This record gives sequence, structure tokens and C-alpha cells, in this order.
Amino acid sequence: MLTKIITLLRTNFIILTRQRGLLISSLGYAVISMLVFGFLFGGNSSTQTRLGVVDQDHTFVSAQITSQLQKSDALQVYTGSSDEEQQALKDGQRGAVIIIPVGFGQQLVGGGAHLQVFYDQSNPVTAASTQLTVKAIVDGINRAVTHQPGPVTLDQQAVAAKDMREIDFITPGMLGMLLMWANLAVGIQLVNWREMGITKRLAATPLKPLSMISAQVVARLELSLVQAVILLALATWIFNVHIYGNIGLLALVVTLGALTMLAIGFAIGSFVKKTEAANSILQLVGFPMLFLGGSYLDVNGAPGFLQPLIHIMPLYYLNEALRQVMFSGAGWSAIQTGVLVMMAWIVASMLVVWRAFRWL
Amino acid sequence: MISQEQLASTATARTETGLMVDVRGLVKSYAHKTVVNHVSFSVRQAEIFGVLGPNGAGKTTTLEMIEGIRKPDAGTAILAGLDVRRQKSAVQRIIGVQLQATTLFPELTLLETLQFFASLYPRSLDPRKMLSGVALEEKARAHPQDLSGGQRQRLALAIALVNDPQVLFLDEPTAALDPQSRRMLWDIVLRLREQGKTIILTTHNMDEAQILCDRIAIMDGGQIIALDTAAGLIGRLGALATIDCRLDGKATRSDIEELTGVTGVRQANERYIIYTESMQPTLVAVLSYAEEKGIPLTDLQVRTPTLEDVFLELTGRELRGK
Repeated sequence: MLTKIITLLRTNFIILTRQRGLLISSLGYAVISMLVFGFLFGGNSSTQTRLGVVDQDHTFVSAQITSQLQKSDALQVYTGSSDEEQQALKDGQRGAVIIIPVGFGQQLVGGGAHLQVFYDQSNPVTAASTQLTVKAIVDGINRAVTHQPGPVTLDQQAVAAKDMREIDFITPGMLGMLLMWANLAVGIQLVNWREMGITKRLAATPLKPLSMISAQVVARLELSLVQAVILLALATWIFNVHIYGNIGLLALVVTLGALTMLAIGFAIGSFVKKTEAANSILQLVGFPMLFLGGSYLDVNGAPGFLQPLIHIMPLYYLNEALRQVMFSGAGWSAIQTGVLVMMAWIVASMLVVWRAFRWL
Repeated sequence: MISQEQLASTATARTETGLMVDVRGLVKSYAHKTVVNHVSFSVRQAEIFGVLGPNGAGKTTTLEMIEGIRKPDAGTAILAGLDVRRQKSAVQRIIGVQLQATTLFPELTLLETLQFFASLYPRSLDPRKMLSGVALEEKARAHPQDLSGGQRQRLALAIALVNDPQVLFLDEPTAALDPQSRRMLWDIVLRLREQGKTIILTTHNMDEAQILCDRIAIMDGGQIIALDTAAGLIGRLGALATIDCRLDGKATRSDIEELTGVTGVRQANERYIIYTESMQPTLVAVLSYAEEKGIPLTDLQVRTPTLEDVFLELTGRELRGK
């Protein structure tokens, strides 16, 4: 029995992975869009790190450190009070802020001196390069002063002053788009099976339509998760896109989004007779949703007359939920509305399926 | 609820009496058009039963109701003691089906396709052996759309046999096949009967019906209009021979009907099909009639009557649309 279920699932999965068109329209488009947008708009990190230095020690040593930092070509150094520099960091004006506390000079001689460093981690690329630069400079100071490495340690603290880059916006949008195309397409699959007579051949076997459909749903969910992982891995690897939220919650949103699109796909597939017609309807439903759902563009600033339309789009809620979880690290409460709207779409679609579904 | 054992024992009991398929009063209508109109017949075990008829006669719909694909509006179909309406899954486990045009998943290889179908049954044969059984073992990694028409039909047959069925349904198995592929398929079908399988096939090919089928039901307009062995059906013509010829406009049908031994005449323009109970005297009579009247006689053929003649006689139409 188990091997039979596995064969059924495996067969459905193989069928999907061998549909080049499906893979291109889902993962392919998403990756290409992400690369294009990432490279077009992704270069907003200046090569010079803007570093804020707060000298509270006012000793020879601290002055020397400050001047060392100012000499570095990789840094553009700003000095100011702790409050001023922290605020600048939060506004995204500084890549990092170093605070040289009172008594630093004395501690340095005695060993065990501390520098406080605050990084803006919203941009992992700058954060990483800033960390390296600062560490190198501090090591240099250590050796110059004491001729041995190590007396100065850095207390690093991340600051939640995130600057949303284009790529941070586009990545969840592309994930939403991927889920939409990959799963709405189940409607075409159903119509195609019916039109080609595959469902009729299956109807002559003891296999129940519901078993086949369930296996197809599971296979599509698997494919959606695999494609999501590939897309996010690429985004992380190439563009240092950071996922702030809970991965489990993200997986849940991905699954729910996929289920919503599957349900709509089945609803379309229920009453359409020709594969070609199903394809056209899919484009007709998919493309407006792609733009009004905010996969590429921020639709929250769209003209008022479009807002009601935008706010019924399941993709809009899927994209919002993905952005909330991925970028803002939001929890369950922030995505509740979106989850409810998507579930409403599932229920509505299932009603259509229940009324109109035909296997033969 | 009937247990598997009970089902099996009923099946055996039926097999012993020899009755494998029993169809009673099947009716199916679509949008006010009755496609199948009270069709009844029964088929014994290890019999090849042919349903012969033109396109649109209701052959496919009849088969699809017996196979459990379509629900009949009325009537019953019992296979090995199992009622297809009430015990559909049980019936579908013991039948093999080849549809008129079997389209399969284009994404799967032949072997994967057979493995998939094998997994749908509680008991199945080795998919690789099934492929070699229809001479497709070298195509195991090919996809259905890469196959020729004959190969595709053989694949469909292998799939139909993967559960080692008791009853096999073949819907137009050799339509659009070249003569060689057709022969190959006939050989396979005849071998299957030797293995004790009951086979129900549809065709609009008279040769096929005559060569393969133990009994033939002629279907037209949703009804069975004759059911017998090929010899029995042809015997109904009351003719031992058919004289097929062209005589120009001066000949009349009534003249020919009065010639020696003639039992029936069909005429289409200048073409005459003359049925006779005594071939030689009639032939001489036809020749001398043409001679006396100075009518040119062409395209003369003398042959044993075929199912084509039977169909023509029964319906007034030719089976093969020309």
C-alpha cells in the first residue's frame, strides 16, 4: 500500500519536473527577474563605508585611533556625540558606529580594552566589509601600541536600522510570482489530461480521481518548496538577501500561498474544456495579478481606484505576508489578515470545484 | 459488503459455467440523442467477441459502460459475476482496457508508464516483461510520443495487460495500422485467447472481425442488429457467392433479379452486387445477358460473400465509408 502511494506521488512529481515550460514560467522567470532587478538596482552600496566615531575617552590613544581610521581609504569617517551618531546609524547614514569609551587608553595599557561597535545589518554586504575594515584597523592599533595582538576586543551589536534594497523587495515578490505560476498551472494540467483522454484511461483503472488529484497537489507543493528554496538560496548567495523571520513560518506561508493558487487553478480547470482556453484564462488571471499583486512594484502607493482591486488579489496578500516574514521578521499576528484572505480564496475556489468539477 | 473471497468464488463459479460477461439492456443518451439503445449480449470465457459497426454506431460508448468509465442510463453489465455499477473497483481490477486512442503522460518513459499503471492494481505483472511481451523492451526509456502508431498500440496493449486481466477490451485496436503491425496485433490477440483471456473488441474492419472473432455483433444506430458467428451471419444472406460488376445504363435491376439462381441484387448507379445460391449458372446468365443486350461488362469480381455484404444487406449502407 505504501509503495503504491509512493509510486503515485513519485509519478506526479516526475511529470512536473519534466515540464520544461512549467519550470521556466515559474522558477525561470523568477530567477531572471531577480537577477535583472538585483543587478540593475542592487549597486546602491557605496564602496566607502560611512563610519561614525564617537571619542568619549579624549586621550592620546583614542585620538590616534581616530586619525588612523580617517587615513583609511575604505572609510569615510564622521565624528560626533554618541546620540548623534547612533541616530545617523538608524537613519541609514552610517554603516557602523564605533564608540571609544572613557578609560579606553588606560585599559589598553593594562590589557582588556573594549571598543563598542554598532553595525547596520540591513545591508549584509556593507556590514561584512565594515566589520573586516574595523577589525583590521583595531588589530593594527593593537600591534602598534602593545606589540602584541589582542588587548582590544570589539563588542559588536547589530542595529535594526534596515534599509530595504530593491532586491529585498523583489525577492519575496518573485517568490510569490513563482508560487502563482507553478500552481495556477494545475488547471491547465487537469484540462490537458481531460482533453488528451488521460483521465478517461485512468477512469478504466481502480484509481480514484481524488487519489490522483491529491497526489498532484502534494507533488505541486513539493515542487513549490524546492523552487522556493532554490530561489532564496540564490538570493542569499548572490545578493546577500537576509531572511529575518522564522523559516518555519515562511515555509507555512509558502505552502498556504501554493494551496491558494492550486485551488484557483482547479476552479479554472473545472469548467474549461480546451487546454488552449485554460492557458489563455491563466494568462488573463495571472498577469494583472502579477502587477496589481505587487510582485514587481509597490502597490501600496497605487491610485485609490485600484486599491479595492488590489485588496482582493490573493497574490497581494501572499506577497505582503512573504515580505513581512522575510524582511521585517514578522510573526503570526502581522500576517493574520493575509492568511485569512488566502483561506477565503481557497474556500471560494473549492465551492466552484465542487459545483463544476469534471474528471472525464 | 462482500468480501474479496466471496468475490473470487463468485468469479470462479461464473467461469465454470463459461459465462464471463453478461450485458443486459444498456442504454445511454446524450442531449436527447440515444447513443446506445438497449444493447444486450453475453460473452463466454476465452471467447473473442467482436462488435462490428460504422463510426457513431455506439460501439465505444457500449464498451465504456461495461468498463465502468461511463454510467449507463439503464441496464446492467456483469463481469465474472461482478456488477460494474455496484462493484466498479472490483470489476476494474480484473479487466484490461485499450481505448480507441490511448494518450499517455508525455513526460513518462514507457517503463515508468507501465510501473505507474502496475501500481494501481493489487496484483500486477513485471512491467519489463510486459514491454518485451509486445516487443518494446528496447524502447523502455523512450516516451509515448516517440513511438510509431503500431508501437503505441502495442504499448496500450501492454498497459491493458499489466494486471493480468480476465477480460480484455480492445477498442479499434488496429485502426490506422499498417498491414504488418495489424498482423502482429492479431497474433498477440489470438495468443491471449489461448491463455484463457476473454476478449471484447470493436472494429470496422471486416477482415479483422472475420479472422479474429468467434462471434460478432453487428451494431448500427445504437443497436445490435445481428449477432452470430461470421459464418452464421454470412449464411443469412442465403447466397453462396457474390458477383460484383459494372453494367452500363441499358441494364435494369429487374432483368438481373430474374436471372438463374439470383437471391438478391444491390445497385449503385452502374455497379451491381448480385447474390446467388448457384454461382456458375448465374455467372453464365449474367454474361449472356450482357452479350444479348450488347452491354459492356467490366470490373467483374466473383467472391464468397463477406461481412461487408451482410452489413450492406442489413443496413443498406456500406460499412467502410468510401
